[in-house]
This record gives sequence, structure tokens and C-alpha cells, in this order.
Amino acid sequence: MAVPVTVKVSAFALAVMGSYSWYANSIPQIESKPPEELSLEGGNVTPAQLVAAGEKIFREKGQCTTCHGIGRAGRGPDLAGVGARAGTRKPGTKASAYLVESLLNPSAYVVEGFPNIMPNVSKPPIGLNRSELWAVASFLESLGGTVDVKLDDVPQVATAQTGGGAATIELPGDPKAGQAIFTGKAACIACHKAGAIGASPVGPDLSNIAGSQTPEYIMGKILDPASKGTVSGFPPNVMPKTFGQQLTAKEYLDLVSFLLTLKGGAAPAAAGQAAAKPKP
Amino acid sequence: MTIGTSDSGLPRRRWRFLDRRSFGTTTVGSPPTSTDSGPSRLERLVPVLLVAAAVVCLATPGWAQEQKEAAYRAFPYVGSRLAIWVIAQIHLNFAAFILGVPIFAVIIEFMGWRIGMDREEGRRYDWLSHEFVKLTFTAFSTTALLGGLLLFLLITLYPRFWTFMSGIFAPTMWLYAALFFLETFTVYLWYYGWDWLSGPRKGLHVAIGVLSNLLGTAILFVSNSWVTFMISPAGVDDTGKFTGTLWQAVNNFTWMPVNIHRLIANVVFGGTIAAGYAAFRFLGAKTDEERARYDWMGYIGNFVALSALMVLPFAGYWLGFEIYGYNQTMGITMMGGFMSWLWIVQAILIGVLFLGSNYYLWLGMERIPGAERFRPWIKYLLLVIALGFMVWATPRSLIASLGEVRAMGGSDHRFLRFFGVMTAKNTAVNLMILTTFFSYLLYRRANREPTVRWARTGMLLQYATFVLAAAAVIGLGLGGYFVEAIVRIRRFSPMQVGAVLLCIVIVMAIDIPMFKGARSTGTIRWGTIAPRSQYVLILLAVTFTWLMGLMGFARSGIRQHWHVYGVMQDRSPDALTPALGYAANVITMTTILFFLMVMFIFWLGGLGEKGHAAAEAHGGHPAPAPIAGGSPEA
Repeated sequence: MAVPVTVKVSAFALAVMGSYSWYANSIPQIESKPPEELSLEGGNVTPAQLVAAGEKIFREKGQCTTCHGIGRAGRGPDLAGVGARAGTRKPGTKASAYLVESLLNPSAYVVEGFPNIMPNVSKPPIGLNRSELWAVASFLESLGGTVDVKLDDVPQVATAQTGGGAATIELPGDPKAGQAIFTGKAACIACHKAGAIGASPVGPDLSNIAGSQTPEYIMGKILDPASKGTVSGFPPNVMPKTFGQQLTAKEYLDLVSFLLTLKGGAAPAAAGQAAAKPKP
Repeated sequence: MTIGTSDSGLPRRRWRFLDRRSFGTTTVGSPPTSTDSGPSRLERLVPVLLVAAAVVCLATPGWAQEQKEAAYRAFPYVGSRLAIWVIAQIHLNFAAFILGVPIFAVIIEFMGWRIGMDREEGRRYDWLSHEFVKLTFTAFSTTALLGGLLLFLLITLYPRFWTFMSGIFAPTMWLYAALFFLETFTVYLWYYGWDWLSGPRKGLHVAIGVLSNLLGTAILFVSNSWVTFMISPAGVDDTGKFTGTLWQAVNNFTWMPVNIHRLIANVVFGGTIAAGYAAFRFLGAKTDEERARYDWMGYIGNFVALSALMVLPFAGYWLGFEIYGYNQTMGITMMGGFMSWLWIVQAILIGVLFLGSNYYLWLGMERIPGAERFRPWIKYLLLVIALGFMVWATPRSLIASLGEVRAMGGSDHRFLRFFGVMTAKNTAVNLMILTTFFSYLLYRRANREPTVRWARTGMLLQYATFVLAAAAVIGLGLGGYFVEAIVRIRRFSPMQVGAVLLCIVIVMAIDIPMFKGARSTGTIRWGTIAPRSQYVLILLAVTFTWLMGLMGFARSGIRQHWHVYGVMQDRSPDALTPALGYAANVITMTTILFFLMVMFIFWLGGLGEKGHAAAEAHGGHPAPAPIAGGSPEA
């Protein structure tokens, strides 16, 4: 019996597509995951922890290895020994300052023989936050040098909006009421310091949380602490997971609004509404 | 917010359901008749109802309120990303087909008109052009419905993203709708006016065809501005807020390269699908006459696809160049980062396209008396293409396991690493293009011998041009190893491309006058080509469709976890960019769905045409003149 043309052609087409699919499945499978945000603000972080965190960012979120090798040439300079070299590149400039500026303003020190192609890594699409910049600078210092860069050496970076700019909303919370939640019902003060309020070393100092983290991070951290990871230097799984059930919607918004006033000042400014630009 | 622009993202070309009497091929050769009727009233109403439904949905206050609050919604079972991906890709396939085919259909119609409708050859071209337009006609309504579905999915699943995009591009969406209407009416007039605007009014008919193509191209350009803005946004400040002008957003870094690349790719795609269709009909043909007709149609489809395919890599190179120019990180991620293996798969697919196209030409020469004299050349041509294929598919900058690194003696293979770099690949692909052009040249002259006095000189000049072009390509390729990347990218690669294009222009400039009035060594025996050649045409159609899916994944994937690169981050659960294996499975699935839909609508067309043919048999138009002989270039 003759096989119908439709069957023959279909079988042939399926075999062709199947072979392409098979080949694509047989080669290394690499996914591109959205990067996680790292927070080290207010934490007691050891240099070793910083370096480890920095190396992870260097290889993943920072995408540094796309151009830089350690011990081999790439599109950018070989970074082996950069911790030692950095202090000698510009007279009067410490290694830490040189490295931080190289991350934030790469065109300031273009190494001879290499094109000026490096982006400011604090800006999107890479968009490292202050903690992450600190960690990467520490890792780079560890490559032949001494790890002595401090968080204060990293300037406050203007975290770019990644919500398309058009989706700006204001949180309808009351920071003053939020402060009362912080010290009262939620008892955050039992573990966290917030400017002049509280002094407990159990959890990270939140005095600058609004300056170093996004509203989305803060809101997510309250509702589901594990989803945002644990700040280096602090034990994991200590923060209660029940605030979502414990607080009313208004209390939650008030608390977030209060936290968004914490921008490094000695005392929280518990007045007025905090404007937040959540990311979609 | 300008959500009321919902209709602007709807189907690319036409609001029309299947015209059951307007397609199918059992009466091929018959000119379109006045019995071709338009869609029924109900059919006309369906697309309008679709638009009305969109407007009503968007105007509903409750809906609008919810839209403000939700950034994402989940599509049941398969998730939002997969739902959008599948529908967008199938819509894109249909849209590419209905935009690409009319481009060469009007050229073929023009050729038939200039040859003269009083001559058999002229009428044959006219029939073929009509046949091609008829194929696209059947795909119009499906394209429109898929476009509508895509729009609904975008609005419902990614409302904040849609709000952001429509906030910037609303005027272009209105323009898109207006162009869409104009184009619809123009194509209707082109198709249904085939008989009415014949004879002395044929020129006007061709002009309408040209106009419909211009409008189709404008639609393509407008919609490309949205997609390219997502890759390379312009007019956005440091905080991610759009502060620029509409023109800045439209005329972003990758807009024009994508326009050109898609325009050419659409022609290749249209050619391969039309050739695949002809192959299918050839294999199922019952008579020699039918076989001859579809052999010829397949040849023309493949010729069109091959001609455009030869310049497609140049457009692709320009696009890649502009992506690097816009953002080094994105460019490097694309070529050397997590997507690096994708380009190896792409190289394999393009290698298959080049090998397949050439193989088809060589098989086609078997049905041309006089082509035997060129047979010895073929093994050398095959060797060059196979070597070029292997070089192009040589990986570099790829992740290797420790065992693989040890086996290679380093992170790169000590010998093969020289073939994995861009200079080697550019050289390989340029040589493959030259070789393919040479194949075509042999085919073109297979049954003809020039009679002009300067024929020998002309031939020598042609061969010398080939040798010089190949030498330039190889020389620049070798030189590329010893210069800075910027010199290679900005100077050497364009010079290689220039050498190939110049060679094509010079050789054809000699060839056309040289073979004018050439002596024929015999007529082409249309319909006698080996059946396996038709499977090659199907291979090309399937491969190019799959390649389009792969490139769609590449274009979207290079944004990684960004809706709009660097401006609007994807924070949905689907933000992860999947690995190539998963993507390949989705591409295969969409390709199967696309071909199932194509086969279904062509089958429906065949049903309608059977009735049409029966009507013609009782006093309708006379049967078409059989295709036999003719010049090699048909």
C-alpha cells in the first residue's frame, strides 16, 4: 500500500525538527536567572565573607567575567594582582578608592591598550547596589592586596528605576504610625536599630535601609524574610515569617512607609509620607 | 493612559476570513476570474467584532481599575511566558509569510507584464504571481486572528508593561491601524482586480501591487519600532523615565537594522514556504503537466529564497554590529555569554540552508540538457560549502567541563580554536555565499551557450572576478588574525562583504548581455526532477521556519530579565531566560503548530478549488497552457 504524500512529508518534517531539537538539548544547558540582591548594610561582615560574596557577584550578577579574566587576558585587563596594583595606579589614591571609582566611573582610568567599553556597574542593566559594590571591591582587593575597603568608601549610588519610570505611585502609609508599629506591635526594635531608636545587635542596623534597598526589597523582606536571603554575618531564619498575618494592611503600609524614611540620619524623620517607586 | 489603542496592535494585514473560492491549486494556470467572490457578511463581521470586543473590554471601568493594580497575571497551566511566546511566534511566522510573498509576487507580475501578456511566457509569470498572492490571501485571516490573540494576551498578562509601551508608542499604534486598513483595501483591490485591471490597465494593477507592498513594509517598520525599543530603548533618562520624543523611541539603535533584516528574511521565508508548498503539490501530482507546473513554481520559490538568503548574513552582521554599538554588555552576552551555543545551532541551520539550496540547484541541473558539462564542478563546490559549514559551526568561548579542558590541553583546542573566531567565520560564510552564487551561475547557463563575439573574454573576466573576490575574502580573513578587533569589525569585515557583493554585481553585469540571444542546447524538462529534490525544498521550508523561531528567541533572550532593556525589569515568575534545550522544544512545537495551520488552510483552499474547477469544467475558463521548456532562469 502506498504511503500518502501527507504522511511522508509530515514524517520527514518531524524528523528534521526532531533532529534540531535533539541537538539543542544535547549541548550544555545554560539558563539566565534574574540576579538576587545582596544586602550587607548594618551587618557584621568579616572580610572573608565579603570576598566570598564579591566573587559570586563578580562571576554572576556583575557579569565581570564576560570581559575580565584572572590570570588570563580578555576583552578587558587581566585582574590577577589587581589588589596590589590598584594602589599604585594613581599617586595618592588608595587601592580601595581606585577600585571603587573604576566600578562607578570606568572611563576615569582606562588601562592602556584596552577600549573604553566598561559600563558603570551601578546602572542598569547590571545595577549593583551599594552592598554589592562593596563586596566586589573587597574581592578585587583580595587579588594580591589587603582587604580594607569600607562600606563608607562606596558612595551612595542612585539606584536607577527599573519600572519604566511611568509607574510611579505613592504609598498611602503613615510613617509616624509606622514607627509606633516598629516599636510596638511588630516589635522590630527587639532586634533592629533604626537611627536613634533601638540598639539591639541581634539583627542588622536599619538606620540606612531606605538608602541602600529598594521598596520592593523592604516590603518583601517583611512578608517573606527567607525570599530575600539573610544579611551576611547574621544567623538565618531568625526573623519571624508571620508579619503578613499579624499586621493589618494599614499597619503594614505604615511600617513600610516608616522604614522608607530611614536614609542614614541619626533619628528617623517620622513625618510626612514617603514616596516609593516600586518596581514592576 | 492610552489603553484605548488596543486595535493598533491587532493583525498585521487584513481582516478577512478564508475565502473558500479564492485559493487552492487544482485550477492553476487559470487567471483569476470574476467569479472570485469576497468574504461573506458574517466573515467580514468577525474581525470587526474582535476589535469591538477589545475596545469594550478596555473601556470597562472595572477592568481598567484592575489593570492599574496588577503588574502581571498568570496564564493557566502553561504560564504567561510560554503562552505569549507560542502565539507571538506563530503570528510572526504568518505575518512574515504574508509580507514576504507579495514582494516577489509583484516582481514576478511585473516581469510577466514586461514580457507581454500576448506571449505564453508572460502569461505564465502572471499566473505564478497570482498563485503566490492567492497563497498569502489564505493566510491573512489567520494572521489577523493571531495578532488579536497576542494583543489580548499582552494586555491581560502583562498590563503594566503594556501601559508603559502604549504610553510611549500610542501615536504609532494609531498609525499602524490606519496603515492596516489602507493595506487591506489595497491588497483586496490587487487580488480581486486581477482581471478587471488587465490588458492596457495592467500597469495600474502592477502599481497597486507595489503600493500594497509599500504599505506592508510601512506596517513592518512601525511594529518593529516597538520590538526594537525593548532591545535598545532611546530617550530614557538615568532613572528609567521616558523623557525623549516619539521619533527618538522609534528611531532607536536597532530599528533600521531589524527593519532591513526582517524585510530580507521575510522574502526568504516566503520563498521557502511557497517552494515547500509547490513541492508538496509536486509530490502529490497526478499528471505530468501538474508536476511540470509545480516543479517550476518550486524552482522560482527557491530562487527567490536563495537570492535573498545570500544577502541575509550581511544584514545580520549589521544588526549585531549595532547591538554592540548600543551596549557592549548586551553584545557580549549575546555572542560570548550564555547564548553563545545558540550561534552554533544557528550556524548549523544556515549551513543546512546553503547546502540544501545548492543541492537543489545541482539536482535541477539534471533536467537541463547541456548541464552535464558542469557536473565535474559540483564536487569542488560541495567541498567549499562543507568546509565553510564546518568552520562556521566551530565553537569558541564556550563553557567546557574540566575533563574536556584537559582533553583539549587548555580552555581552547590548540588547532580548532583558530576556526572558532569571528575572522574565520566571516571568511567561511563569504566563501559559502560566493560558492552558492557560482552554483546559480552554472545553473543559469546550463542549457545555453553564448553567441556574442566577446564571450570568451567575458567568461575569463567573470572567472577572474571570482578568483579575485575569493582571494580578497581569504586575505582579509587571514589579516583579521593580526589586527585589533575594532579594525577587523569596522574595516575588514565590511571589505569582505563588499568584495562579495562587487563580485556578484560585476559577474551579473557581464552575464546578462553575454547570454542575450544565446544558443539553446535544449529545453528544461520541467517535472522530471528527482522527487528527492522536493524533500530538499521541504527541508528548506522547515529549517528556515525553525531558524526564525531560534532568532526570535535570540532577539528576546538577549534582554534577559528585562522587558525593556535597562529600563523596565521583568519581575514576573517567568523572568528566567530558559536554556537552549527548552527553547528548542518550544520552537519545534510552534513550528509544528504553524505547519499544521498552514496545511489546514491550504487543504480548505483545495476543497474550495475543487468545486471551482468543476464549475469551470462546465463552461468556465480554459485549462492553462502546459509548462514545457523555457529558459533555464524560467
